[in-house]
Amino acid sequence: MQKEVVDSMAMKRALTRITYEIIEQNKGIRDIVLVGIKTRGVYVAQRIAERLQQLESSTVPVGELDITPFRDDQPLDIALAPGKYQLAFPVADKRVILVDDVLFTGRTIRAALDALMGGGRPQSISLAVLVDRGHRELPIRADFIGKNIPTALQERIKVSVTEVDGHDGIEIINDN
Amino acid sequence: MADRYLILEDGSAYLGEGFGSPAVSTGEIVFNTSMTGYQEIITNQIYHNQIIAFTQPTIGSYGINHDSYESILPTVKGVVVRDVASISTNRQRRWSLDQYLKQQNIPGISHIDTRHLAKQLRASGPMKASIVDVADAHAFDQLGATVLTNQQVAAVATPKPFPNPGTGLNVVVIDFGLKHGILRELSKRACNVTVLPYTATTEEIINLDPDGVILSTGPGKPQDLPDSVLTMIQNIQNRIPLFAIGLGHELFAMANGAQIMKLSPEHHGANHPIREVITNQIIYASQGQGFAVDPTTIDRNKLITTFVDLIDGTIQGLRYRDFPAFSVQFFPDGAPGPTDALDVFDEFVESMQQARGPVW
Repeated sequence: MQKEVVDSMAMKRALTRITYEIIEQNKGIRDIVLVGIKTRGVYVAQRIAERLQQLESSTVPVGELDITPFRDDQPLDIALAPGKYQLAFPVADKRVILVDDVLFTGRTIRAALDALMGGGRPQSISLAVLVDRGHRELPIRADFIGKNIPTALQERIKVSVTEVDGHDGIEIINDN
Repeated sequence: MADRYLILEDGSAYLGEGFGSPAVSTGEIVFNTSMTGYQEIITNQIYHNQIIAFTQPTIGSYGINHDSYESILPTVKGVVVRDVASISTNRQRRWSLDQYLKQQNIPGISHIDTRHLAKQLRASGPMKASIVDVADAHAFDQLGATVLTNQQVAAVATPKPFPNPGTGLNVVVIDFGLKHGILRELSKRACNVTVLPYTATTEEIINLDPDGVILSTGPGKPQDLPDSVLTMIQNIQNRIPLFAIGLGHELFAMANGAQIMKLSPEHHGANHPIREVITNQIIYASQGQGFAVDPTTIDRNKLITTFVDLIDGTIQGLRYRDFPAFSVQFFPDGAPGPTDALDVFDEFVESMQQARGPVW
């Protein structure tokens, strides 16, 4: 069973609001870089970057982060040999905004923090997510949230983006 | 139908046929280009003490219905049309336009060359006008001598607070002559609304513990309102999510140092494309504005321009950089007219939810 809880209009609005909130909390976009977590986080980050560009007429760098080597459910030998620094730009002294589609246990974000830190010491790291579905297993919270969607553990959240899935929207899927 | 005249301050006179009330009345004349929605426009309090000329050639064809009032009682001074429909049909129709204007003691005049009139008003801007039985020197003298009040907000805004209960977020609406569409959209989103008079103080607002505050639409010139209104806006905008519409938008801009200029020609209609800057999307919305924010006076360290009119480049939306306070010049409630901008209300509701934090 699946149910669309956020349609494309609401998703657009959520991205717009996150963008305004980024400007509000950072007092502008100086030193800001966006880092999207693969796969869908990257597209979310790109859309936020487009919006920032429209408002402020200057480009914000968008990086792509693959957190696979940093996951805590990998065999130890892989986890101990993390991939090299992945971003095309240095993050030292930048205000990094980490972007993902869904915030769940927090383990992905922890891995992303590890992957990021390899590139220097950022001024700050904040987290923007399209959906916060609860059930955290680590002490991690988002700074910018598109939509809080309370879920049951067995449910799944599916974020669709046009670039990958052909349409925009967020669905709750219950396999039972 | 009796012959009547529409006379203007500049000495011009139009011969027409009376309908509605036979009263003689005087007000500022503006023209509206909306193709439908005459009931919403006539009952919109932004047109308090004004005479509305419709450029759409036939007006009244679907009568008056229950769902389209934008205030309890209309306070316009007259309705000018090319042709008033002699038959009106619609499943929701309760009265004809003629009957309604008679009941409300508002004169109408038809058989006016509204195209010529609109061109004249585009060039001159709004001016004083009367609907009279005889267009003689006396009538023009009377018209010239009439002084129109600049206290329109005081005349139409509620003198006392009143509730519009709901089960959701707690919203305070500051009434400058609000349009029912604003309350309707808040009701759809289950908001628990308290409407306060525009004289409400910061303390009175804060004491109601609102999740958000709306500054409503209203008639007249924003500079005619007391400075206490601006102080109130400055005090609440950084504490509570704020959403301002129409006159409220102009006041929000003034409270943040921008200046308001007279707009000529004015925008009354729903045919202007408006660009949402952040997404580059084009929307249409109902507009009724005689003033606009002067873009050269905006402090860009404080305010972001969010919507721009593509016909004349006027500012249609602003947002404060440091906190969730934003405004639109047009009417996002879409009564009458396009509903493209309805989701500005959702944006407001989401801002309030965000400011409150998650519910678990």
